Amino acid sequence: MLTIKNLHVSVEGKSILNGINLEVGAGEVHAIMGPNGSGKSTLANALAGRDNHEVTSGSVQYRGQNLLEMAPEIRAREGLFLAFQYPVEIPGVTNLYLLKASINAILKHRGEEELDAVTFLKLIKEKAALVEMKQELLYRAVNEGFSGGEKKRNEILQMALLEPYLSVLDETDSGLDIDALKIVAHGINTLRSKDRAMIVVTHYQRLLDYIVPDFVHVLAEGRIIRSGDKSLALELENKGYSWIENAA
Amino acid sequence: MQPDTFVAADTAHYIDQFAQLDKGLPGVDVAWFDDQRKKYLARFSKIGFPTQRDEDWRYTPLRLITSKNFNVVAKPDCNVDLTPFKIPALDSYQIVFVDGHLHQKQSTLDLDKGITVRSLAEVLTNTPDLVEKYFGSVVENDSHGFTALNGALNKDGVVIKIEPGVQIEKPIELIFLSQTEMAISQPRNLIIVGKNSKAQFIDRYISNSTAHTLTNSTTEIIVEQRAEIDYYIIQTQSSSAYQVCGVWVKQAAGSRFSCRTITLGGGLVRNDLRVDLNGPEAHCDMLGVYSLSGKQHVDNHTTMIHQAENCTSNELYKGVLEQRSRAVFHGRIKVAAGAQKTDAQQTNNTLLLSRDAEIDTKPQLEIYADDVKCSHGATIGQLNEDSLFYLRTRGIDEADARTLLTYAFVNEVLNQIDIEPLRDALEKTLSSQLIHET
Ligand SMILES: Nc1ncnc2c1ncn2[C@@H]1O[C@H](COP(=O)(O)OP(=O)(O)OP(=O)(O)O)[C@@H](O)[C@H]1O
Ligand SMILES: [Mg+2]
Repeated sequence: MLTIKNLHVSVEGKSILNGINLEVGAGEVHAIMGPNGSGKSTLANALAGRDNHEVTSGSVQYRGQNLLEMAPEIRAREGLFLAFQYPVEIPGVTNLYLLKASINAILKHRGEEELDAVTFLKLIKEKAALVEMKQELLYRAVNEGFSGGEKKRNEILQMALLEPYLSVLDETDSGLDIDALKIVAHGINTLRSKDRAMIVVTHYQRLLDYIVPDFVHVLAEGRIIRSGDKSLALELENKGYSWIENAA
Repeated sequence: MQPDTFVAADTAHYIDQFAQLDKGLPGVDVAWFDDQRKKYLARFSKIGFPTQRDEDWRYTPLRLITSKNFNVVAKPDCNVDLTPFKIPALDSYQIVFVDGHLHQKQSTLDLDKGITVRSLAEVLTNTPDLVEKYFGSVVENDSHGFTALNGALNKDGVVIKIEPGVQIEKPIELIFLSQTEMAISQPRNLIIVGKNSKAQFIDRYISNSTAHTLTNSTTEIIVEQRAEIDYYIIQTQSSSAYQVCGVWVKQAAGSRFSCRTITLGGGLVRNDLRVDLNGPEAHCDMLGVYSLSGKQHVDNHTTMIHQAENCTSNELYKGVLEQRSRAVFHGRIKVAAGAQKTDAQQTNNTLLLSRDAEIDTKPQLEIYADDVKCSHGATIGQLNEDSLFYLRTRGIDEADARTLLTYAFVNEVLNQIDIEPLRDALEKTLSSQLIHET
């Protein structure tokens, strides 16, 4: 699904990722943990194609293609999805409009027929029910005036609608209450399948109680300094990062 | 700045035109009207056109207008097909002017009881008393040379009088078409809306695609007590057309006047919009959208005068400038000494989508009362990169994402247009105009 080799990324002249190597196979869930500022969001944004994230060396293969050559919208249409750590508010564009434009752009890219208004509405209401999102939020401007938790839920709604092959979830659990966390985790788990993969960035074990990862990686100073299975996350929870950082 | 920018244009051409037309101008036999006309002519001869030396015209490329000699059209060609200009599905009473003359056949003058819609020329011939009391009572006498020129050389205009307590179901649509090469049209309009009445007006300025024309209009609007007016100024002329548009409004107690000025076309557009809140508890909304490209220029000069207590005004102008276009926003708010409990807000936001585009924005607050709430703010910016990236990660391509965000920016004003067919038509025009250089 995804092969990252020796990836170096600079943002505004500052080197942030310093040689990331990561192999994500279909059907797998990878958790990425690491201290604040270690580069987790930078990695997520670089995968999504943020243009101020300059790849200075390394390569990324995604489903047999060179990911780094694709525009962000092409990556999205090819099935890569980023759930943002801080989803932006877009006044003047309704949530519903964006969702429809988005699914239709993807369907068109795949050579499939675009959804008409009625079919779309039915589908989106189903998905909204899945993540228990208030319908009223569909008619509001994208994320405008949404609470922190509502914004995160909106990201998962988009993911549920677009059914990506590779989802990168950047701290989707931050700011969620216990009930919301379960609902969001349920939304994510619904999408788990042998054809899909996920990279879940998180600081907390509690999300991983619901979305059990196959692999856990620790990112520090732009490098993966330790990889392991789900027990690594538990160990981190007990001992903190200094434990590995000192060892490394 | 080039020295010749400061050379005042030759006013002789227009004074000449007056001499030729004199007896042919409407209202020559009406003493008070003729007297006004002569005063305007004298004023125009004295002050001429403004120049860029005048603070209020500093950024306006006046030479586009003053370097040419426009001509009053004696008899318009009324064999004109208005279908391409129609707003689909808009059900309105339509009054059409072609090159400054009423187009009788295309206009609906017989409206319901309590609503008078007539041409100024006809009113002056048959019942000048009807307008004597109102005419010239709102417009500022010491306004600039274009207002004086309109006063001296107007050939026609519309007179609308709505009796008290009348609610008009359909909007009244005033269409001003400029079509003859080098034509000057100078509509002179008077609108009186009686107590407790309710009406919607759509002023549309259109032109054929290639003619060089000048439209110099003056409209006076009297809003009586508790009357409610929605007033739209829709400017979609071609870039070879120039326009100076003066709208003067007087509001009585408890009235509401909502003005929406939408400028999507015209090579040079200058709008002077002045509202006097003369009675307590009056409210005025002044909203505007300008979307320009090429070398278009638009000047919005607004003046909100709070004369009475407890009045509120809310002003919001949003603009999108592409390529080498340029805009000026000058918003003046004056709160007179007695106008306590005034609430006046003003905002001007502009998106500059090209390095060569330019906006000059200037608020001006003059406050002589102490218990008031006034605020103003202006922003100038580019499209938000985070929003752009967000949309693209959702599969929307860059050009569409830019259009969507630009559109969303002005939508804050557009979605306040209650006449749906009008809003749809504007949305369509606007979306098709947003060119994006990426
Ligand atoms: N535009 C920028 N200019 C300069 N430095 C930047 C820029 N964007 C990010 N950085 C820096 O890059 C580093 C990594 O940031 P990143 O957001 O990837 O961290 P993170 O691991 O996601 O942290 P957190 O857990 O707090 O979300 C930080 O030191 C940050 O300050
Ligand atoms: Mg982060």
